[in-house]
Amino acid sequence: MKKENSPTIRAYITVRIKGARPELFLQKCASGGISIWDVKKIEDDCCQATIMLKDLGALRKIRRNSLYKVSFVDRKGFPFFLSRLCKKRFLVIGILIGFLFFFVLSNLLWSVKITGVPKEIEEKIETELEAFGIHPGVWLFSLATPTDIQRQLLNEVPELLWTGVNLQGTSLHLEAVEKTIVEELPPGEPRNLVATKKGVITNMYVSKGRAMVSVNDYVVPGKVLVSGNLNTEEGENNTDAEENPGQPIAAEAEVIANTWYEVHVSIPLLYQAEEITGEQKKKHYLRFGDVQLPFWGFKDPDFIYSQEERREQPIHFLKWELPISYVSKEISETEKIEEQRSKEEAIEAGIQQAVTQLENELGPEAVILSEKILHEHTEHGKVELVLYLSVEENIVKEELITQGD
Amino acid sequence: MKKWQQRIRSLLMEQFSLPSDVVMEMPRITIIGHLHFYIENHQGLALYTNEELRLKVANGFVCIKGHSFVLKMMLPKEIMLEGTISEVLFLNQEGEKKE
Repeated sequence: MKKENSPTIRAYITVRIKGARPELFLQKCASGGISIWDVKKIEDDCCQATIMLKDLGALRKIRRNSLYKVSFVDRKGFPFFLSRLCKKRFLVIGILIGFLFFFVLSNLLWSVKITGVPKEIEEKIETELEAFGIHPGVWLFSLATPTDIQRQLLNEVPELLWTGVNLQGTSLHLEAVEKTIVEELPPGEPRNLVATKKGVITNMYVSKGRAMVSVNDYVVPGKVLVSGNLNTEEGENNTDAEENPGQPIAAEAEVIANTWYEVHVSIPLLYQAEEITGEQKKKHYLRFGDVQLPFWGFKDPDFIYSQEERREQPIHFLKWELPISYVSKEISETEKIEEQRSKEEAIEAGIQQAVTQLENELGPEAVILSEKILHEHTEHGKVELVLYLSVEENIVKEELITQGD
Repeated sequence: MKKWQQRIRSLLMEQFSLPSDVVMEMPRITIIGHLHFYIENHQGLALYTNEELRLKVANGFVCIKGHSFVLKMMLPKEIMLEGTISEVLFLNQEGEKKE
């Protein structure tokens, strides 16, 4: 017992049959293979019934040999709806274009607002942003991430101390803080120079002040190297009386000392490295919730080892974030390199590592003179090294002379 | 001749327990409460108004009475009727039988 419920996706029509005993006509139709439903008797000689649009031809054929009159009352179903829409084509096109318009406009960058910096730096930032391709009118999803913009801005505009990039809807808010060069100490204030590290002094260039130590002296942190007090010990007592020579001055000097460091490094004998070969592939997806639909770049690259970089950009409609987002994936081929090295090579690498580590710590002015291995020891496939490095560097630190005590 | 055929049919039905509607060319009628009337294997519609439906079956007519009838479905040998059913009558050529 199957019930045929009226299928709305297909076209169906309601017809009215007039004539004597219209049910007989309907019976003839039904016997002819036309499916009929919702038959109602309106009057004695009038019946209303619903048939599929495709059966209309068969119905007409049956009517031709009879005295019945058939009239159409209603047409329903999706095809009729479509044809009705076709008549109002321009309205529909207009609505679609309108939606598209909103969609496009809400995914464009409309304004870039820079706050917190003076005009000239603001202009500089603007030109810099322009160079990254960030200006009003670009697609929001082609925009770099805020952290990338921040980093690039800080690199390109040296006057900036900090930037905060915030994408609010269709406008990019950029807050920046200008670097103000603050003198650590006011110039001209009387000061001493003291040692920051222990070491043996190798060279001294005193331009102002009185040297308290000499070359080849061993100094410890805090030791006064160059004094701003030009008077000798005895003279210092007379400063209150004789004003002129007693005034301490700002000492200026460069004191190069030989310092030393002990560095522990451990180097594995077996090492693995990943290298990007340069082969890469880009894939683009549209993501709906958990489903990702690729729309560009369908093929999977046949890389054995690969590295994936994923970037996701939500798509907006007006102020709402749509549940759809644009995802781009960059798959780069990598190579795994596994190598075994000898103990000598490991030690070499360890020394190199220690040197670069120390150079990073001390800055460009320090010169590493020599490195010695104090202790070496192999355990669990690793070479443990204790290195002794001697360095030549400036150990000067300024210290104010507090007056009046 | 016809009687003889009928006899064989009843014999088949009883001996092989075949469904009677298939063997005897009889209509299969399903009624759901007083709301629906479903008939298969009828031989044509004889009368239809809002109060009455008369269908031709193998030997006679089936007559359904009630009110606010709507034919929900019409297929070559099936009809589904919706409405309020008050009585179903089998009108035989020989006489009348009420169910």
